[in-house]
Amino acid sequence: MKERSPFLVGYLDNETNQSALPKSSDVVIIGGGLLGTSLAYYLSKSKVETVLIERDDINREASGTNAGSFHFQIALHQLTPNMSESEKRRLADEVRLQVDAASLWDEIERELDADLGVHFDGGIMVAETEDEMRVLKEKDAIEKEAGLESHILVGDEMRTFAPYLAPDLAGISFCPREGHANPLLVGPTYAYRAWQNGAHFRTGCDVTRIERINVGGDLKGRRFRVVTSRGVIECNRVVNATGAWAAELSSQLGLRIPLGLSGLHVNVTEPREYFLKSMVQHIGRRLTLKQTHNNTFIIGGGWPSREEKFPKRYSNTWSSTAGNLAVALRVLPMLADVKLLRTWSGVWAFTKDFKPILGESEKVPGYHIAMVPTGFTLGPMVAQMLSQYMTATPGKGKLPSEFNIDREVA
Amino acid sequence: MNTDHDLVVIGGGPAGIAAASTAASFGLRVAIIDERVTFGGQIFKRLGDGFDLESPEALGKDYARGARLIQELEQSEISKFNSTTVLTIEDNQIITSHPVDGVRRFSCKALVIAPGAYDRPVVFPGWTLPGVMTAGAVQTLVKTQQISPGKRIFFAGSGPLALAFSAQLIKYGAPVFKVIESAPFPSPTKLLGLLSSIKGNWDLAGDAIRYRATLLSHHVPFHYGRIITKAEGSGRVEAVTHARVDKDWNPIKGTEIVEPADTLCLGYGFFPSHELFRLLDCDFDYDETRGGFTVSKDSWGLTKSSSPLAIYAVGDGTGVTGSYSAEAQGRLAGLHIANHLGSLSTQERDRRSKNFRKELQQRNDFQRAINKMFEVKQGIYRLAEANTVICRCESVRAKEIDPVIDSTCDVSVVKSYSRAGMGLCQARNCQRQIAAMIAIRHKISISEIPFQTPRMPVKPVEIGKIADPSIREEKYFIQ
Ligand SMILES: Cc1cc2nc3c(=O)[nH]c(=O)nc-3n(C[C@H](O)[C@H](O)[C@H](O)COP(=O)(O)OP(=O)(O)OC[C@H]3O[C@@H](n4cnc5c(N)ncnc54)[C@H](O)[C@@H]3O)c2cc1C
Ligand SMILES: Cc1cc2nc3c(=O)[nH]c(=O)nc-3n(C[C@H](O)[C@H](O)[C@H](O)COP(=O)(O)OP(=O)(O)OC[C@H]3O[C@@H](n4cnc5c(N)ncnc54)[C@H](O)[C@@H]3O)c2cc1C
Repeated sequence: MKERSPFLVGYLDNETNQSALPKSSDVVIIGGGLLGTSLAYYLSKSKVETVLIERDDINREASGTNAGSFHFQIALHQLTPNMSESEKRRLADEVRLQVDAASLWDEIERELDADLGVHFDGGIMVAETEDEMRVLKEKDAIEKEAGLESHILVGDEMRTFAPYLAPDLAGISFCPREGHANPLLVGPTYAYRAWQNGAHFRTGCDVTRIERINVGGDLKGRRFRVVTSRGVIECNRVVNATGAWAAELSSQLGLRIPLGLSGLHVNVTEPREYFLKSMVQHIGRRLTLKQTHNNTFIIGGGWPSREEKFPKRYSNTWSSTAGNLAVALRVLPMLADVKLLRTWSGVWAFTKDFKPILGESEKVPGYHIAMVPTGFTLGPMVAQMLSQYMTATPGKGKLPSEFNIDREVA
Repeated sequence: MNTDHDLVVIGGGPAGIAAASTAASFGLRVAIIDERVTFGGQIFKRLGDGFDLESPEALGKDYARGARLIQELEQSEISKFNSTTVLTIEDNQIITSHPVDGVRRFSCKALVIAPGAYDRPVVFPGWTLPGVMTAGAVQTLVKTQQISPGKRIFFAGSGPLALAFSAQLIKYGAPVFKVIESAPFPSPTKLLGLLSSIKGNWDLAGDAIRYRATLLSHHVPFHYGRIITKAEGSGRVEAVTHARVDKDWNPIKGTEIVEPADTLCLGYGFFPSHELFRLLDCDFDYDETRGGFTVSKDSWGLTKSSSPLAIYAVGDGTGVTGSYSAEAQGRLAGLHIANHLGSLSTQERDRRSKNFRKELQQRNDFQRAINKMFEVKQGIYRLAEANTVICRCESVRAKEIDPVIDSTCDVSVVKSYSRAGMGLCQARNCQRQIAAMIAIRHKISISEIPFQTPRMPVKPVEIGKIADPSIREEKYFIQ
């Protein structure tokens, strides 16, 4: 059997984690999802004093419940009917960002010196009807223009390429660059490497209030008091990486962060002999399907789960289970006798324009937000961008203006 | 298909049948659901197809009692759904699957959940070797197929059922050659405790004596204060090791005995099946000897949960107390529901409940006294070594779980880092062992460590049996 990642040994050593919250730090990151842990890694690599505070354990929310797919192809939720040229340009920009992320994923296992289950086995997007086929071609053209390799296959070509798919599908696109990694390992490994770099972690530590102090004082002075269930810490810079909860803390500082929230449903099955190398998605219906390297199938794609009051986790519904599985069977009929083992759900936070919210507030200097909707694919990369911004000479750092955290998104 | 009833009962063992029949006798429209092919639950297993019963008395009075209960069920107006597995409960819908008829939904005003218990898994070096079997599995094999799993069966266990099971196996002709019991020889105070609760339980006490006599007359030695520590063999069990235990059931070094055996039968008690209760957010208590977490309920079986339905919990699935108690609990719930739904006056309910309540009281007193004698101790969780497989579905060893446990107290975190608990058994086998490992490492009580987040389906089910193309998602934009 393959050895498991080294981070398990002494990971977030219990004694360190149980000791008191430091009194102060240059940077405090709130939230131990993928955004928070990867940022802690990049900052600590640049020797920035960092404390990461997480109310639960590391990687338990969106970053530990997602399906771990690298989404480089334009997906269903990004498309609008009869797209204008400017919308197409916007989509092409998004694709370029995703292509950049792909190169980070190429390197990540070497960078973190760990097996994170990264695979680039390609992604298939199926079209069931001729209408969907038209959209598939349109999206394919945008991707090609943005520099993402993809191929359209129909008829016998499709059936030879992917004999496991339902033979009567209208066609597919195939993007060799797509892939996946193990979401249960990536965040914790970033955390472990950050911890080795000297970043501090406190879990089971709930941030209840952020107060501004020393307003207008000099940049070296502490500007925030962060109040937690395990004590108070003062810091110069705060990064809010609380994902779906980013708006709550921000509003205490008078900032309105317009986030949409959606509970997402995921199914996992028993293992079967490995045959499905590429992830499968649907251009017209909610489906992502892949066979993991543990041979189980993970089936999701945006079916809703039911909102519950925190800390209860969002619950799964029968209609999402039976509906999602029916779409999966339509595309891969041979899964009919595979057993469903379990469902789960996570809370997904998105912006209406699907762009990241990344950077420092002009209204509240020193207050940063790190959130991005396609956060598994893009999280580490935007964290790296933010870290570069935060370690640049003051005033010199730059981030894309469309990520501006003070923007109002209708 | 959607079926509407006053009462739906999940589980067709003694508890569920008693609840269903009692409620139906007051005119309620009742449905009973069980995933097995026949009703009767664990205790009243009937012979497999093709086996004729020559002498019913060989099967004992449990069988006769079971036959009476099943007859009561068969003669009633109750709608019976067997081979039907409950997958989840959502709002007031009970969602089930049947191998031929597919998904069926039930709705009702009151719900009784009586899912029974399953054999407590015990993790020690070699526990996954072929030839190591739980008592329940051996019993099923012997009782319903009349097949003995081996030629030289070693029986290790604890509690009254360890004695009962081993004696039954011997009576059926299965070659059990030795029995060990982890608890010490009962002290005089504990025996006195037992005697003071014997009223109404002479039958059970008599059974115990007869079981002991069976062992004696077959010259099968029975040793107190010893626990199984290892099973070895190439490809299947060839030898077992057992050792004396201290008061916490930790094996004492130097007291090991190795013996050849081809089958190891384990009877260390039961774990309640509480997946559905957890899904419904019921409150729980903790009692290791009754199987760990047990659902909290009032004296009629009514639970507190987040569900809009009135939910009753009865039988071994609510904490293991045995089949007499299970039946009495079912009757009481049935009466309460009949009253609750307006078919029985409160006065009449209380009058009729008196005898069952008395029976339950006496059975429970006796059970408590017995449980005192056979209290399950934490040593049962300390038998694994570094190389022992803890999660058998995913082949995760203790040494792979230990480092994760260093930094968390959450079984879900252990699961996501190590894959322990992700397999086909849905963590029924390993989860408490992992909880115990966490408890030991962090010096906290195992009762403080909750299960992983409950999710549907509570039993694995084929995708093709439940996928429903008529359910359409909210569209994004393509019509
Ligand atoms: C079911 C599902 C499937 C998905 N599939 C994919 C996919 O295949 N590919 C992809 O790219 N993206 C996917 N996503 C999106 C992706 O998972 C998220 O965008 C990403 O994980 C967000 O990371 P995060 O660190 O911002 O948030 P999170 O991982 O949610 O982390 C936020 C953390 O902040 C903590 N926190 C919150 N409030 C406080 C407080 N007051 N004090 C202290 N800590 C606090 C939380 O406990 C949490 O740990 C999916 C999302 C879901 C839910
Ligand atoms: C393996 C085993 C052997 C035993 N042998 C003896 C014995 O020989 N003598 C003795 O005195 N006691 C014995 N007991 C104890 C005795 O069986 C119990 O005390 C008694 O059966 C409890 O009754 P019950 O109705 O609570 O549960 P059960 O009799 O276990 O009935 C529960 C029923 O619920 C059904 N069920 C559970 N979940 C679902 C679901 N999701 N969907 C549909 N159906 C479901 C099961 O199929 C089962 O038929 C044994 C227990 C076990 C576990």
